[in-house]
Amino acid sequence: MRKRTLLSMAMVATMALATFTGCGGSREGASTTDTAADTATQTEEAASSESTSSLTGFEEGATIGVSLPWLGTQNWKEAEEMFTAQLEEAGYKPLVQAADNKVTQQQQQIESMIENGAKVIVVGPVDGSQLGSVLEQAKEAGVYVIGYDRLLENTTGVDGVVQFGSVKTGELQAEALLQGLEEKKGEAPYNIELFGGGPADPNAPNFFKGAMSVLQPKIDDGTLVVVSGQTDFTQCATVDWDNAKAQSRMDSLISGFYSDKEIDGVLSPNDGIARAIITSCENAGQEIPVVSGLDAENESVEWVWSGRQYSTVAKPTQDLVAKTIEIIDSLQAGNGMPATDVTANNGVIDVNIYELPPVVVTKDNAKSVFAGDPSRLELLK
Amino acid sequence: MKYIKQVLGGDLRQYTMVLALGLLILIFNVISEGRMLTSSNFQNLLSGNAYVLVLALGMLMVIVIGQIDLSVGSVAGFAGMVMALVAKNYNVPWWGAVLIALAIGIAAGAWHGFFLSQLGIPGFITTLGGMMIFRGGVIWISRSISVPAPEELKWFGAGYLPEWGPAFTGMNNSTLLLGIIGIVAFAVAQLRKYNRSKNNAVDATPFWAVVVRIGLMTLLIGYFTYLFGSGRVGTSFPVPGLILLLLTIVYHIITQRTKFGRHVYAVGGNKAAAALSGVNVKKTYFLTMMNMSFLSAVAGILFVGRSTAAGPADGTSWEMDAIASVFIGGAAVSGGVGTILATIVGGMVMAVLNNGLMLMGVGADKTQVIKGFVLLAAVAFDVYNKKSGKSSIIGKLFSSKEEKKTA
Repeated sequence: MRKRTLLSMAMVATMALATFTGCGGSREGASTTDTAADTATQTEEAASSESTSSLTGFEEGATIGVSLPWLGTQNWKEAEEMFTAQLEEAGYKPLVQAADNKVTQQQQQIESMIENGAKVIVVGPVDGSQLGSVLEQAKEAGVYVIGYDRLLENTTGVDGVVQFGSVKTGELQAEALLQGLEEKKGEAPYNIELFGGGPADPNAPNFFKGAMSVLQPKIDDGTLVVVSGQTDFTQCATVDWDNAKAQSRMDSLISGFYSDKEIDGVLSPNDGIARAIITSCENAGQEIPVVSGLDAENESVEWVWSGRQYSTVAKPTQDLVAKTIEIIDSLQAGNGMPATDVTANNGVIDVNIYELPPVVVTKDNAKSVFAGDPSRLELLK
Repeated sequence: MKYIKQVLGGDLRQYTMVLALGLLILIFNVISEGRMLTSSNFQNLLSGNAYVLVLALGMLMVIVIGQIDLSVGSVAGFAGMVMALVAKNYNVPWWGAVLIALAIGIAAGAWHGFFLSQLGIPGFITTLGGMMIFRGGVIWISRSISVPAPEELKWFGAGYLPEWGPAFTGMNNSTLLLGIIGIVAFAVAQLRKYNRSKNNAVDATPFWAVVVRIGLMTLLIGYFTYLFGSGRVGTSFPVPGLILLLLTIVYHIITQRTKFGRHVYAVGGNKAAAALSGVNVKKTYFLTMMNMSFLSAVAGILFVGRSTAAGPADGTSWEMDAIASVFIGGAAVSGGVGTILATIVGGMVMAVLNNGLMLMGVGADKTQVIKGFVLLAAVAFDVYNKKSGKSSIIGKLFSSKEEKKTA
C-alpha cells in the first residue's frame, strides 16, 4: 500500500513539474511583426509579379501542409497520394490531411499545420468561403497559402489558386453533349435536362455558367428542349455533389416529365452524378441518354469505353499537383509567386489564378488522352 | 494520501477526468515535440472548440432532465444563416443581426419546449423534427450558397482582447488582468468557505489545506495566463474562450445554486417525486429546452464569426459532439446526474484528443475511430464503477487508508 501511495505521489509531482516547465514560450513580439510585414510586401510584390530579387525563400526540407476536403472521390485520393509522394521526392516534408468534408475539421487542421511550422499550405477547401480567419492567421504567421482546385473566397489570406479553368470546363462539357446528341440521337430537337454541382463549391456555378453559354443559344433556337423547364442553377444544383441526391432528382424528373417522351441528353457536372443519372434512366426503362461528365473517374472511364456514358472531362490530377509543386519550388527558391495574367475577385481581394486546360474524353480519343496514365489505360480493354 | 485528499476536498472521483485531461495534454506535448503547449495552439484549441462546449453546457441540462436534443446543430446553422442574410440583404447592423439570431434561438427552443412540456411528446421526437425543419430551413433560405458575414462578427469567433498598459509585463495585459481576477476570485471564495466551515466542526478543512489549495490553483491559473498571454503581440485569451468562460460560470451557478437548477436535477432524478414535492415539471422542461436552443444560437454565432461566412452545411452533426462531451463528463444516460464543470472537462478531452492527433498528422478517419473508443471507454468506466459500487481507480487509491482508519 505504502509503495503504491508513494508511486502515485511521485506521479502527481512529476506531472505538476512537467506542466510548469513544459513550455518555454516567450512573447515573440517585434520579430514576428517584422516577418508579417515582410510577407505582406512579399505578397504585394508577387501580386505585381515584377520584382523577384528582394525575396527570401525558405530552407530545403521545409514542412509543406496540404489540406484536402475529403478522400471520398478518386481525384482527392489521387491528390493525397501524389502530394505525399512528389513533395517527398522534391525534398520537402509533406503533411497531407483530409477533413472528412467538415469545415470545422479543416479549420483546425490548417491551424495545426501552422503550429507544425509549415512554410506553404495548399488548401483544397470544403467550403471556399468559410476559412477566412484561419487563412488570415496563416498569413500573419508568414505562411504562403495556395488554393487547390477551388477558389478561396472572402479572405485576404490567399496568395494564389491553382485550378482548371472552370468556365472552360463547363463549355467543354456542353460542347461534348451537343456533339454526342448529333452523333447518337439523330435529328433535332433533343430533350435534355440539366444538372449542376454542389453550390458550396465556387466552381459549380462556373461550370454551369460555362455550359449554359453554349447551351442557351441552342435552347433559344429550339434545337434543345429542357422539358422540365428547370434551367436555373439553384434548381439544378446537387447539394454536396451528392450522387444519391442527383439520382433521386433524376428519378422524379423522369416520372414527372418523361412518361410519354424520350430523354436524349443530360448535362452532368461530374462523373459520379453522371453515373447516378444513367442508373436512374436504366431503372426507369429509358434508353441511355447522352451524358457528360467530369474528373475521368475509373468507373466512368470504363463506362465511356463501353458506351454507357458519352463523355467525361479529364482534369488530370497530376497536372494540378505538378503545377502546385512548381509554385512551391519557386517560393522555396525565393522567387515568390510566379507571374500569371488571370485573376479572380474573391469578394475581398483579387487573387492570382493559375489556370490549366481540361481535356474532353470520349470513346474516340480515350486511348490518346490516357497514353501517359498506365492505370487508366488499363481500363480501356 | 489523507493530506492530498484534504487539499482536493473530498470528492475525488470528479478528478479522474481532469487527471486524464492533464495526462493527455502532457503526452501529446511530448510526442509533438512541444507543439501542444504553445500559446497559439491553446488559443486555437479554445477558438476552434468553443462552439461545441457552449452546446455541451445546454446539452448537459437537457440530458440531466432525461431528454436529448438532436436539433442543436440545425438550430445553430439556421440562426447563423439568418444572421448573415439579414446583415447582407437588409443592411441590419451586426449587433441587430446577432440579436435576431439569439431571438431565433429562443423561439426555436420555445417551439421544442412547447411540444415536450405541453403535449408530452418525447424530446427525441420533437427535436428530431426540429433537426429536419431547421436543416431544411437553412438550405432553403440560403439556396445552398454560403453567405459572407459582417466583418465585426469575426471578433466573436476568432478575436482577441485588446492590448493596453505597460509593456514590461511581457504579456497581453487583458489576459493578465483576467488571470489575476481568476486567482483572487478563487482565493476569496475558498477563504469565505473556510470561515463558514470553521463554525461547523464536522467537515472542517484545516487552514493549511485551504492555503495549499489556493497555492496550487494560483500556479495553474498563473501558468495558463502566461500561456495565453505571452503569444504573438495582438493575441490574448481568445474572445470565444472568454464567452465560454463566462457562460460556464453562469451555468455552473444556475445549476448548483438556484432553485431552477435544483428543479432540473430533481426532475431528472425522479419526475414523479419531483412533481409531488411541488416542482413545476412542465416549466422545467420548457425552460431547459428553450435554453438549449438559445445556446445553439450562441454557438452558431461563434462559428460564423470564426468562419467569416455562414454555410448551408453549418452545424451538421454538432449535436453528436455535444452529447459525447456530456457523457464523457460523466453524466448518466438515465438523467439526474452530471455537472457543468465535468462536461467542460469532457469536452476538452475530446478537443485535446482531436487537436493532438492533428498535430501528429493523424487523418480524420483514424481520429474518428479513436474518439469513438474514448467515448465508449469513458462511459463504460463510469457505468462499471457505479455497478460495482467502487469509486474510480484514483478514488480508491486515496480513500482506502481513510476507510481503514475509521473502521
